[in-house]
Amino acid sequence: MPEIVNTILFLLVNGLIWGLIVALIAVGLSLIFGVMGIVNMAHGDIYMAGAVLSFYVAGILGNFWLSLVLVPAIVLLVSAPMERYVLRPYEGHHSSTMIATVGISFILQQIVLGTYGGIPKKIVNPWPVSFNFLGVDYPGYRVLVAFISILILTGLWFFLYKTSYGILVRASMQDREMAAAMGIDVNKVLITTFAVGSILAALGGVLAAPINQVFYLMGNDVILLSFIVVIIGGLGSLKGTLIAALSLCSLEGVLASVLSPVQARAAIFMVMIVVLIRRPRGLFSE
Amino acid sequence: MTSPREAVMDKAFEKRVERREIPTFLVLLLLLLLVLMGMVLPKGARSLVTHMMIFCILAMGYDVCFGLTNQCSLGHAVFFGGGAYGAVLSILHLKVGLVPSLFFSLGAGFILAVIMGLVCVRLSEAYFVIITAIFFAVFHLFAMDLTWLTGGDDGLSLKLPSLSIGSVNLSLYNPAANYYFVLIFLIISYLLLNRMSRSPIGKIFISIRENEKRLQFLGYDVFRYKLIAFIVSGVFSALSGGLYALTLRYGSADFFSFHWSIMPIVWCLIGGLGTLAGPWIGVFIMSVFQYYVSAWWTYYLILFGIIILVILRISCKGILGYLISRRFT
Repeated sequence: MPEIVNTILFLLVNGLIWGLIVALIAVGLSLIFGVMGIVNMAHGDIYMAGAVLSFYVAGILGNFWLSLVLVPAIVLLVSAPMERYVLRPYEGHHSSTMIATVGISFILQQIVLGTYGGIPKKIVNPWPVSFNFLGVDYPGYRVLVAFISILILTGLWFFLYKTSYGILVRASMQDREMAAAMGIDVNKVLITTFAVGSILAALGGVLAAPINQVFYLMGNDVILLSFIVVIIGGLGSLKGTLIAALSLCSLEGVLASVLSPVQARAAIFMVMIVVLIRRPRGLFSE
Repeated sequence: MTSPREAVMDKAFEKRVERREIPTFLVLLLLLLLVLMGMVLPKGARSLVTHMMIFCILAMGYDVCFGLTNQCSLGHAVFFGGGAYGAVLSILHLKVGLVPSLFFSLGAGFILAVIMGLVCVRLSEAYFVIITAIFFAVFHLFAMDLTWLTGGDDGLSLKLPSLSIGSVNLSLYNPAANYYFVLIFLIISYLLLNRMSRSPIGKIFISIRENEKRLQFLGYDVFRYKLIAFIVSGVFSALSGGLYALTLRYGSADFFSFHWSIMPIVWCLIGGLGTLAGPWIGVFIMSVFQYYVSAWWTYYLILFGIIILVILRISCKGILGYLISRRFT
């Protein structure tokens, strides 16, 4: 098989796996926007917090895998009161939520800068196995990441579409006032949704930590990509977000073989502009 | 001349719409004070005030967008940086004088605002904020990447040409000259924007803020007016960026950073949305805050985040909005 096909295939798979992580983050973002109307600028920083926390868990407890359980627990404890006491008054006013979450983002970044430091660090690969994939050694950890992300996304789908609580969440997403009128405890639903969205972002951070470098500004890059994904998929549409994440990230991965990373990002950006001009509410919005 | 009918309409407008205007003479008095202060201020304070005046232009420009037509843009760093580079690059490569270089920054701001406005302004509120933010992020990436043009993080430093008015030769290397140079632009910007916000088009802007749907039903082309407001806002932000680059005598990719997107929002929120001169108070408070607290504590951005949350919680009208609403009710 010619070299070039191999390279492109390799980049495509890389892009798809990164796409799965971005999908976790972007679905969380989309879910939070869909239910509460919060444009969450701090979402990337929760991703960053997930990565940083997993660094500490791996360092202190000596086992990286524990962070898949511990980090969501910590994020749950932080994000639930954050939604209830900080963000609740602004919900539904998109601009205000955006400004407020920028404030939260500053606070999170500076706390991490103060405690963790400003130097990028690397986590050792927790599963140093490599598969032979079309004649190229492919790191096993990335395959595992893809597997775990699919598992989490399936779990989320199951939660939203197969459990009775998921129906409540979807009902609040469609019409919050009506849902409240029907006797749904919207307060609880809002807190749960925000926590679930944040946990998804944090898990994305945990999974990405051994692949990327852990850095206090690592969220900025991701929040940009997830916003583009969410916009193209259609704000509040989970299916669209998932499809857009996978296709955009694999596209960016393949483009990175011929263009520089910034040019590849610019190409994605142009795709977004074209989509927006043709369909101002995204591709999959209802 | 206003006809009697127009006067009646004006009165109705005043009654329906919440007025957030500061009497012009108060602001003019303040400007006069600034003119006098230029002579007596010590060196350090004078340079701080020079910076503040530049930020005031940015704040006013932003206020046209957010305060008058209620478009919360996170993309104004693009105009600020664009304006700065318009001035820097035109001086470096085209060897133009000081004032022409500012025309280049205005042009850069205008072009960027038209491009961004045509894409963004049509969209709904959530899309608008997100897409202006994406625009900002992409331009920031580009500014960092295209080092041959922008100099990246290190930036480009420049030698200022001197400014000759008649037979007098002025150099901006003289801090006092710099102060008055900026002050003149501040006065011009204020007079222009103040005139605009009190003219019929300003009323349309305010009506968009108060009730966009209704204006649409009345037959106004809301998109057009929002676009106009967006472009005016972009042009004044670019002017501010150009002045800032000239004052610091360099331009770097830092001028595209998020700081310049979020600061105008904070200034406007503190000072009072839609009051034009109100954000000056915000500029003053935040500049002094930054000047002193950043020297005292490295992680002062935490306080900054808390301030944002607190202001949003208390009032979106800001200090002046609060004072005005107290006076008239």
